[in-house]
Amino acid sequence: MATLDLRSITKSFGTASVLKGIDLAIRDKEFVVFVGPSGCGKSTLLRIVAGLEEATSGQIVIGGTDVSALAPVDRGISMVFQSYALYPHLSVFENIAFPLRVAKLSEAEVKSKVGKAAEILQLTDKLHLKPGQLSGGQRQRVAIGRSIVRNPKVFLFDEPLSNLDAALRGDMRVELSQLHRDLSATMVYVTHDQVEAMTMAHRIVVLNAGRVEQFGTPMELYHHPATRFVATFIGQPNMNLLPARVVGQDASGLTVDIDGGPRMTLPVEGRAAPGDRVEVGMRPENLHLGQGLTMKVRVLERLGGVSITYGMLASGQRLCAALPGDAPIREGEELSVAINPADAHVFDASGAVMRRTQAPALAA
Amino acid sequence: MLIERLSIWQKIGVYAATFVFLLFILMPFIEMFRVSLRPMSHLMTADFTWWSDDFSWQAYRDMWKTVPLLGLYIFNSIFIATAVTVLTMVVVVPAAYAYARLEFPFRALSLGGFLAVNMFTGAVLLIPLYRVLRSLSLLNTYWAIIIPGVAFLIPTGIWLLRSYLEKIPRELEEAAFVDGASRMYTLRRVVIPLAVPGLIVVGTSVFIGAYAQQFLFAITFNNVREIQPLPAGLYEFVGYQDVTWNEMMAAALTGVLPVMLFFLFLQKYLVAGLTAGAVKE
Repeated sequence: MATLDLRSITKSFGTASVLKGIDLAIRDKEFVVFVGPSGCGKSTLLRIVAGLEEATSGQIVIGGTDVSALAPVDRGISMVFQSYALYPHLSVFENIAFPLRVAKLSEAEVKSKVGKAAEILQLTDKLHLKPGQLSGGQRQRVAIGRSIVRNPKVFLFDEPLSNLDAALRGDMRVELSQLHRDLSATMVYVTHDQVEAMTMAHRIVVLNAGRVEQFGTPMELYHHPATRFVATFIGQPNMNLLPARVVGQDASGLTVDIDGGPRMTLPVEGRAAPGDRVEVGMRPENLHLGQGLTMKVRVLERLGGVSITYGMLASGQRLCAALPGDAPIREGEELSVAINPADAHVFDASGAVMRRTQAPALAA
Repeated sequence: MLIERLSIWQKIGVYAATFVFLLFILMPFIEMFRVSLRPMSHLMTADFTWWSDDFSWQAYRDMWKTVPLLGLYIFNSIFIATAVTVLTMVVVVPAAYAYARLEFPFRALSLGGFLAVNMFTGAVLLIPLYRVLRSLSLLNTYWAIIIPGVAFLIPTGIWLLRSYLEKIPRELEEAAFVDGASRMYTLRRVVIPLAVPGLIVVGTSVFIGAYAQQFLFAITFNNVREIQPLPAGLYEFVGYQDVTWNEMMAAALTGVLPVMLFFLFLQKYLVAGLTAGAVKE
C-alpha cells in the first residue's frame, strides 16, 4: 500500500485550462474524496492519476516512485468507472478475472483470486451470470471485484454510486467504507455529492474551477471552511450568506452591521477596516428561534425531526433556517431567528475566510 | 415509430407502399421463375398467360447438360464472394477500429479519401486494373477477380463498421486499458465480441457487394472457363442459333438459392444478435 503525491499537476485542452496547478499529498491507507461542482476538473484529475489522460505538466508519485510516464497497470492503480464498464458478453467470473487473464495467471490462481474477491463482495452464487442479469448494486460490486483482484496500491473510484437509486446508494456507502477498512488500501474517490464526501472520506479535496479550494477532514471543512465556496458547498441546506458592513474590530472580535439586520460582534480574527464590506455566513442548523433577524416565512418543509424554513428578510435577502420539528411556525407569518455569534463565519470581499476563534476544536 | 400508433389509413398507406416497392423489386425474380418453368417453344408466343398446364421442371434438369460446368460456376461464385468477404473483413476490422478510436495525422482526410475512391465505379478503372494485374501475372487466376473485389469493398466496410464501433462505450476499453490490456487484446476480447451484430451487417453487405461485382471483373480479367463465376458462366446458355432462356433463368435461380438460404438463416441470427448484444446496461 502506498502514498499518492500530486505535484503541480496542470491540464489544458487546447486553450482551455482545466487544472491549474494541483498539489496534494495523500497518505497511506487514506480514503480521500475529490468533490466539486461539475466541470471543476475532479474527474480529469482522477483520470490523470489513473493514466488515462496525460497531465500537461506536473508529477504523479505513488509510494515514492514517479509514475507519470508509466502505463496504468504499471502504476499499481485500479479504477472503478461510473458506468461500471462491465463486459456484457462475459460472465461475472470472467469480468472479475479479466485483469488476471491479461496478466496471464494460471487457471488455479485465477480461480482462487476471483473466488476470494467474490467472497468479500458476496457474489459467490452470481459468478456464472452475465452482468445484464444483475441488479445495479450487484453490478457495482462486480466492478469493484475486478478492481480488487489485482491488489493495487491505490484504488480510484469515478462517481461509482451516481447510477444507483438513493436507498441503494446509502447501503453502498456503508459497504465501501467497510471495504476500505477490510482492504486497508489507499482510495481516491470522485463525487459531486457532498453527502458521500462527508460520510466516507478521511479527508476531502474541494475542487473549484481547476484549483484546490481546501483539503481537510470533513469536520475541518464544516467548521473551518477556507473560502466562501467551500462554506456554501459543504453542508445541507446551504449556508446563508448575509452582506454586512464592518463597524469596528477589537480583541473580542469583529463588529458588523448586517444589512437589514442587527449589529453583531463576531469572534473572528483577520484584517478589516471600518466600512469594509463582508459576508456573514450562517448555517441553517445554527439558527434558532430568538430575537435577531426577522424573516417572513415563504416555504416550510417539515421533515419530522427538523423544519426547514425558507424566508426573506425585510431587505429582500433570502434566509434558510433548520428549526426544531415542532417549532410553532406557519407559512406567510413573520418569524425571528438568532445565531450564537461563535457559530457565524465571516468572509472578506475576496471570499477568503476570517479565522473563527471560538469554533469547536478539531479532532486530529 | 411503432406501427401500432398509426391510424388505419396510415397503416394502409404503409402497407400499400411496401407492396408496390416489393413488387418492383421482386417482379424480375417472379418473371425469371415463370420463364424457367416454361418450355422453349412457348417462350416466344405473343399472348401472355400467367400460368399454363405445360409448365415443368424440365429446364432444371437440362441445364446441367447444356452447360456441363454449371456446378463449378456456382461453386466459383460462392468461393470468390466468400474469399473477398473474408479478406475484406480481415482488413476492415482493424482499420475501422483505428478510425473509431485512434488519433493520427490525416485521419479525416484519409477517411474522406476512401469515400472519394468509392465514387469511381469499377468500370472506370478496368483498363488500369487490367495492366496492373497483367504486370503481376495474375490475369486468369482467382486472384484477378478477388483482389479488385476486396479493394473496392474496403472503403464501404470501413465506413459502416467504424460508425458501429464508435457506439461501443469508451469506458469498456478504458477499463481494459487500466487493467493492462493492449490495444490488440482489447480488440480481440472486448471490442470484437461486442461488435458481432455490426460485423454481420458489414459482412453481409460486403458479401452481397462481392457477389454482384464479380461479373465485371470475371469477364474482363479472366477467360479460363474453370475459374469463371456463375454470372459470367451464364453466357454459355447463349448459343450460335438461339438462347435457351428457360435454362438460363433456371441456372441463375439455382445459383442464387444457396446464398439466399444462407442469408435467410443469418437474418434470424442478426435480429437475435442485435437484442442480445445489449452494449448499454
